[in-house]
Amino acid sequence: DSHIQYERVGADVTMKCGSMDWDAAVTWTANGTDIDESHLNGSYLILKNVDLTQSGQYSCYEGSSWHLKYQTYLRVGTPPKEPVLMCRSNNYPKGFYCSWHLPTPTYIPNTFNISVIHGTKEMVCEKDAFPKNRCHIRYLQLFSTVKYKVTLTVTNALGKSSTTVTFDEFAIVKPDPPESVVAKPVPNNPRRLEVSWQNPSSWPDPESFPLKFFLRYRPLILDQWQHVELSDGTSHTITDAYAGKEYIIQVAAKDNDIGTWSDWSVAVHATPWTEEPKHLTTEAQITETTSASSSSFMPPPTTKICDKGAVVGSGAVAVCWTAGLVLAAYGVLFI
Amino acid sequence: SPAGDSWGIFTFLCAALCNLPALPALNCSEELGAGQSIQKTYDLTRYLEHQLRTLAVPYLNYLGPPFNEPDFNPPRLARATERVPSATVDLDLWRGLTDNARLAANYRAYSRLLCYLRALDGQAGTAELRHRLGHFCSSLQGLVLSIAGVMSSLGYPLPVGPAGPSVPPGTSVAPNDFLKKMDDFWLLKELQTWLWRSAKDFNRLKKKVPPAVVTLRLEARGF
Repeated sequence: DSHIQYERVGADVTMKCGSMDWDAAVTWTANGTDIDESHLNGSYLILKNVDLTQSGQYSCYEGSSWHLKYQTYLRVGTPPKEPVLMCRSNNYPKGFYCSWHLPTPTYIPNTFNISVIHGTKEMVCEKDAFPKNRCHIRYLQLFSTVKYKVTLTVTNALGKSSTTVTFDEFAIVKPDPPESVVAKPVPNNPRRLEVSWQNPSSWPDPESFPLKFFLRYRPLILDQWQHVELSDGTSHTITDAYAGKEYIIQVAAKDNDIGTWSDWSVAVHATPWTEEPKHLTTEAQITETTSASSSSFMPPPTTKICDKGAVVGSGAVAVCWTAGLVLAAYGVLFI
Repeated sequence: SPAGDSWGIFTFLCAALCNLPALPALNCSEELGAGQSIQKTYDLTRYLEHQLRTLAVPYLNYLGPPFNEPDFNPPRLARATERVPSATVDLDLWRGLTDNARLAANYRAYSRLLCYLRALDGQAGTAELRHRLGHFCSSLQGLVLSIAGVMSSLGYPLPVGPAGPSVPPGTSVAPNDFLKKMDDFWLLKELQTWLWRSAKDFNRLKKKVPPAVVTLRLEARGF
């Protein structure tokens, strides 16, 4: 029958051929390949300073009969180092989850044991099916003055290690990033971008536990971000975008009163509205024919109206022209 | 001309709508008052929370070790829970609180906390700490009054019974200095917890009491 044997990296391993005498004639194989006699001390197999590559199946056969006398599976690994443990509430006030990982792999199987203590009570952290190194807890009480103490112990055949984190209920609140971030140009507005998003779906009760948001945006060509903090609503219009430049936009969320900011949302790209170049030639022709025959009443259709925000470009001229026409029509109506 | 009449009406409506926020509270229900004072009370709790954060460090340093150590996490003794009202509450129970119950719980808690804080005043360490405590007490007094204002504007009676501790402060003095400091430690903790619970309580109340604008718009259409 077969055994499993766990040994530390760098250790010296001695394997005995089951109940065979020391001076019996045997042959050892590693994964089916014969092992040279130089590694033998009588019928014992000596492996010095083992490394990971030496993991495998080792078998011992009686010299003449080639009977299988002993078989073992060698797994070379390390005892666990102190694990990294993190707890977070992205679904406040429902509860929180804790997740963990080992800073370096052990190369052998590990078991994790987690304990959560709240005051004098021990709470059960239910392990998630996926991802594996995660468990979740439901809050039974809210607004607790007593801290939570979570201890994670990692054990394997070569040793164990543990770590503890202690925290207040409100300190670990961190929502998931906002979802469905959409940025659209605004027709006839070359410096605007309309951004909208939704509360993260993991946040269970935005009515009683409202979120506030942080928006950041910059044109792709610049490194400096601009920031806007919004205390309510899930949309915002950027009004100072550079005309014609592609922008990158992200949003983050935070509970209005407690905890920390979420990670940034997925970035969206958008470019503000610009006038279609082909329209300009027809507009120009109209300008030439009408300006010749118009009365002095017609207000000059260009810069005065549009000075405020527009960057001069082909689009801007046509917009101003339309605005001028509208004003002229109004003037006629009221005289 | 017909065009002139409709223009006139349009101008009038424009003016009316633009001046809506300034309309006097003529036919406004009492809920308009409550909506604004709920917001004010919410803002007060945030302000107090900020004040408490700056007060906490000198306060804990006055209590000295182990109270001012960041890892200090003592068990809650039965004695402490009797004296200082706890913000901790079962989740479903908290959700199901009526507006009246929610407000009353806040009112009772802060009234008692204020009383305990005032009992502290004369004993606190440095003059600076005493001064800060005094300022905090005044603000806390303002919060209690603000909550009372919300309750009366919504037509709820103020909770009766002793506003102070069930036992006068002098008689139930802790048997030793350390236990007395434990009481002071928990007082600070409960204040912190109540303040961030109140933010959530008033958020919930804000949603349930109709906002001012809605009420006024309905009034204007009656023209």
